[in-house]
Formats: sequence, structure tokens, C-alpha cells
Amino acid sequence: MSFAERMLKIDRRIIFVVIGLCTLLPLLYPVGLPIKISSEVRGVYDYIEQMPERSVFLLSIDFDPASKPELYPQAVAILRHAFRKNLRVVTMTLWVSGTGMADQLVTQVAQEMGKERGKDYTFLGWSPGGTAVIINLGQDLYNTFPSDYAGKTTKGQPVLDGVQSLRDVSYAVSLAAGNPGVEAWYVFGKDKYKFELGGGCTGVIAPGLYPLLRSGQINGLIGGLRGAAEYEILIGQKGRAVAGMDAQSATHLAIIVLVALCNIFYFSMRRQARRQGERS
Amino acid sequence: MATGLTLCILSFLYKDNPLFKLAEHLYVGVSVGYTIVKAYDTVLVHLIFKPIVENGEWVLLVPVTIGSLMLTRYVPKASWLSRYAFAFIVGVGSGLAIPRTISSFILKQIEDTVRPLLMLAPGGDVTFTWDLHNPASSLNVIIILIGVTSVLFYFFFSVEHTGPGRVVARTGVMFLMISFGAAFGYTVMARMSLLIGRLTDLIEFSDASYGRPTVWLALVTIGTLIFLSRRTQGEPPDQH
Amino acid sequence: MIFLRRQLPLLITMITGLVFAGQYYVPHPASEQVLTSATKWMQIIGGFALVLGVTSLFHVHAAKIRRKEAGWGYSVVLYAGMLGTIAVGFWANGKESVEGVSTAFGWVYNFMMVPLQGTMFAILAFFIASAAYRSFRARSREAAVLLIAAVIVMMGRVPLGEYLIPMSGDLSQWILNVLNASVRRAILIGVSLGTVALSLKIIFGVERSYLGGGKE
Repeated sequence: MSFAERMLKIDRRIIFVVIGLCTLLPLLYPVGLPIKISSEVRGVYDYIEQMPERSVFLLSIDFDPASKPELYPQAVAILRHAFRKNLRVVTMTLWVSGTGMADQLVTQVAQEMGKERGKDYTFLGWSPGGTAVIINLGQDLYNTFPSDYAGKTTKGQPVLDGVQSLRDVSYAVSLAAGNPGVEAWYVFGKDKYKFELGGGCTGVIAPGLYPLLRSGQINGLIGGLRGAAEYEILIGQKGRAVAGMDAQSATHLAIIVLVALCNIFYFSMRRQARRQGERS
Repeated sequence: MATGLTLCILSFLYKDNPLFKLAEHLYVGVSVGYTIVKAYDTVLVHLIFKPIVENGEWVLLVPVTIGSLMLTRYVPKASWLSRYAFAFIVGVGSGLAIPRTISSFILKQIEDTVRPLLMLAPGGDVTFTWDLHNPASSLNVIIILIGVTSVLFYFFFSVEHTGPGRVVARTGVMFLMISFGAAFGYTVMARMSLLIGRLTDLIEFSDASYGRPTVWLALVTIGTLIFLSRRTQGEPPDQH
Repeated sequence: MIFLRRQLPLLITMITGLVFAGQYYVPHPASEQVLTSATKWMQIIGGFALVLGVTSLFHVHAAKIRRKEAGWGYSVVLYAGMLGTIAVGFWANGKESVEGVSTAFGWVYNFMMVPLQGTMFAILAFFIASAAYRSFRARSREAAVLLIAAVIVMMGRVPLGEYLIPMSGDLSQWILNVLNASVRRAILIGVSLGTVALSLKIIFGVERSYLGGGKE
């Protein structure tokens, strides 16, 4: 067995250790490289920035703990921004297993920003049906969520003053880890009820949302942990996403080096095989 | 608890072991339990019971009946009744999807693809913009048009690609490869982010204020793995 | 009987399908009211569907325990986890927190479900690295193009990449915004045409596999 062959067949646990160290070391000893802001992320930020006070902002937290590291920092940054702009924040989730996390997230950020439940914000909770929930919200919000997560009747809450359906929402953002998510909010929501829509998503589904971004169906897109880091920079409040960017850099570099090594060994094996073929 | 369970799952990286299996089954059990509780609280209490009792919305018994028919799947002799529930859901779902999908994903996407190739400049002149940085520039509009049509051609025209058709199909394949590459890059980013998130939590729980559970439980996990591997010595670690 | 078991369900699908496809084009208040009611019904039925989906696991693991198949102990753990969660969930009225204070149900969620689910997906990071090392090879021109695009995007989406090769950021943006967007658009149009075709087949009774369940 040649050196290249041996190297290509090394114990996968060596690779695991390399990836583990590339993640752990930058988290323990951060460098803090500068992060550039993309136009996609700026799209969401700029829209919230120009919204008048007490406008209605709907945040749909469409993910579960599996995507927490990517989308939780996005949600925290957007909520901080919206609360700072004194918007009326209406939150909900279409993902059942994300309900507890969404409640904790909204409550924590609201407490940090000194906001009052029912007056400045509300968490409607989860309701089954996915796309049917979006349509029903577009028809009648109180029919969809007769009570909020805490069990309080939604009708009469000051935060929902003048809001009857999605038509009365100034801006909605779906932070999605899959379906139902950003696409469903467009197809079953914005298409008919004509509110402005932005998106945040995991890295896995981000490339698939670019057609919607290009056609203006969504006005911005926050992609993965990198997108969250950009948003944290924009609001001037660095958090977990910015802290994770050095580790992200190191692991990406590690993967690129691994791919390069794999190809070097592969081509050296191929050359060796060709030479042997010529000799025989 | 959180640290211990995290380490149990991470122990899979060494090899499949009882600690991982235990955590995996516990995860499934807790998730199912959680979903049942949420469905009970949201649907039964807030969407059915309260509106009926407080507002007299008796009409809601219709979807309750349809929903209950679904559960006849568990009774072999009556399972055909569940067809009514599925017929309703699938019928309404298909009906809702058709016009919305056509409007959102077919017409709007085609509309954005067939944009004017020249732009109106101030003064009434037409201009062709070469700026690659601007996704709406004339050059990029042409590239997008070529990309969309060549990929659609590659997918839909399953006849043998010869002559000019071969060139178009090859172009489509190249576009596809670039897109798959970008998707791979983004997937790597996503997976690494998840690991960063979990390790950040473990670092947080290694703090003295928590009693350093990460350190202690890591030692316990490693000890257990050594004990288990001694018991099953001679069995090679599985290779994927 | 065949009418009740087979034809009537197909008729229900056809009528509801046509009604709700047509409803989109009729913005009359009565038509809108029908939509409001139907989507509310779908919410409620969706709850039942969810329960049906998750409870199918019961049977698989109950059978494993009954027959004492290999690894039946893990099935007991699964049952214990599920029943324990249901018990604390009902005790807490289905709420993870009340007025910001965590309940026992919230504790199970935060300290069991969240880390378990999170870590389950986090370990994929290691396997994607291992897979990339073992199989991401430029065997052909197409594979080489894929590989180069992946490397550019990986470089361009992290600060270190942009620092080492400043143009990688703009290049990856262009790949995502133009080249990737065009491919994804073609796929989206293709998939949407397929969705519409399948929906029409369902409405007109050509596609019937969704009926399943029981004999004719």
C-alpha cells in the first residue's frame, strides 16, 4: 500500500479530532477577524430600521433545537433590533418542537429590553396545520390564535390594537430551518395578503432561497451563523454568532485543507497507477 | 443533565455504544411525549374545548369528527373510514396549492427571468450594464437567463442531447455543478455552526460556577467507554 | 359499499380541491368565509394527523418489548421518556414556563430535548468532514467545477477566507446571487410544475395512493 493510499484510509477519528480542535481552540482563544456585511442581511436590517414606531412586526420562529446554534442568534439580534425601534412585536412558531425554545427566547430578550408582554410584544405559541395556519392568519388572526401561549385571550391585547389579520402586519420575518418556513410564508401569506416579507434560514436551505431574493419576493435573507454575525454587527451588539465566526473560519479552512490533501493523494495514486500501466 | 446527554451523543464519534443508544432512544421518547402534550394543549384545549364551551362554536365538532376518523387507521375493520379524513385534507391541500404555486413560483419566477436586457439610462438612452457585483445588471440578467433555460432544457428534454442541444445541456450541467458546489459549501457552514453551538454550551458548563460538569462528565463518559470497550475487546470499530 | 369506501372519498377530494382552487379567484366575503373556516378546520385536523404520526412509533417499540427482541431495553427507555414527558407535561398544563418561571415540563424540554436534538445534528459536522476527505475528488471536469465552487463559497463566507483572499467574498456572493440563483430558479419552476400536475392528478382521481388504509 502506497503512502497516498494509506493516507486516504486513515482512521476517521483522526479527522474528528482535527475538526474538534479547529472548533474548540478558536472558541477558547478568539482572534476577532472583521466581518463584512452582505446586501442580503442589510435588506432585513434596513427595512426594520426605517419602520415607524409601534408598527407591527411579526417574527415567525420556524425552527427547533436542532438548528438552534444557527437561528437562535439571528432571532436574538432581530428581536433586539425590533424592540429598540419600539415596534409592536408579534411572535409565533410553526414548528411544534421549537415552542418552548421560542417562548424562552422571546421572554428573555423582551425582559432584557424592558418590554411588557401584551403591550409591547406577544408570543402566540404554536398551532398545527403549517400552511393552513398562515392562510388562516391572513384571514383572521383571532380565529387562528384565540389565545396566546400563556393562555390569555388575544383579542384586546394592546400589542394587537388595530390588527385583524396579516394584512395589518407591516413586516414579517420567518426564521426557518425547513418547511414550513420562508417559502410557505410567501406562497400562502405574502402572495395574497401583501405584507413585506424577509427571511432568515439555516445554511443548508439558504442557497434555495436566492431565487425568491432575486425576484424581490423576500426583501432580505439572513443565512446561517454568518448572517447572524452580520446582523449582530449591524445592531452593534456582538453575541454568540460573532463569537463563533473564528471557529467557523478555522473549520472551513480545515475542510479545504482536507479536500486539497484528498485530491493530492488521489492524483498521486492515479499517476502511480498510470506509470505502472505504462511499465507493464 | 444537558452536559451528560450531550457527551453521550458525542461518544458516538468513538464508536456506536450503549451510551449513545440510550440517549438516542431517550431523545425519541421525549420528543414524542412533547409533541403529544403540545397537541393536547393547543388543539384539544385551546382550539376545540374552549371555543366550544366559551363561545358555543359547535361547528368545530365537524373537524373533530374528521380528525377522529383518521385514528380509525388503528382499527383494521374500520380503517377505510380514515379515507374521508385524508380525502378532505388532500383535497383542500391540493386546491389551496394549485393557484398559489402557479402565482408564486411559476409566474413570478419566469417574470423575473425574462427581464429587459437593456436598461433605460437618464436622458432616455438605453444602456447595457456590465457590473457583475450588481445581480440586476444586464450581464447578470443574461447569465441568469442562460442558466435557467439550460438547466430546464437539461431536465425536461430527455431525448439524446446532440448538436446544439448537447451544448445547451452541457451548459446546464456546469451551472448545476456550480450550484451543488455552493450548496455543499453552505452545508459545511451549517454543520460546523451546529458543532460550534454545542461546544460553546459545553465550554459554558465547564465553568466553576456550574461545578464544572463538562469536565467531570467527560471523564465519566471516557471511563465508561474504556470499560465498555474492554468488555467487547477484539471487536474493531466500524468504518463508514 | 364500494361507493362509500372508494368513490365517495374520491368525490370529496375532487369537490374540495376544485372549490379551494377556485376560491383563490373569488374574493367575495362569503368565499373568504369558507376559506377562513376550512383553514381553521385544517388546523384542528392537523393536530390529529400529528398525533397519528407520532403514535405509530408506539406499536413498533411495544412489539419489540413484548417479543424481548435485541435491544428491547432501549425501547423501555423510549417509553419511559415518552410517558415521563407526558406526565410532567399534563402536570404543567402543557406550559414550559409560567410568567417566566420554568416548569418541570420546561426542565425536561430545556435540559433533555434541546441538548439531545442539538447534539444529534451537531455530530454531522464530523461526518461531513470525514466524507469530504474521503470522497470529494476531482475525478472529472464536472466534479472539478463543483469542488472549486464549494471551496470559493467556503472561503467567501468566513472572515478568514475574505482576509486571506479578499475577492473570495465578492466571488461567492456572485456565485450565490447569479449562478446558484438561476439553477435554483429552474429547479423551483420544475418542482412547482410537478406539484401542480400532481395536485391536478389527485383532484381528478388519477393519483389515489393517499387513500391507502384497508380493503376496498
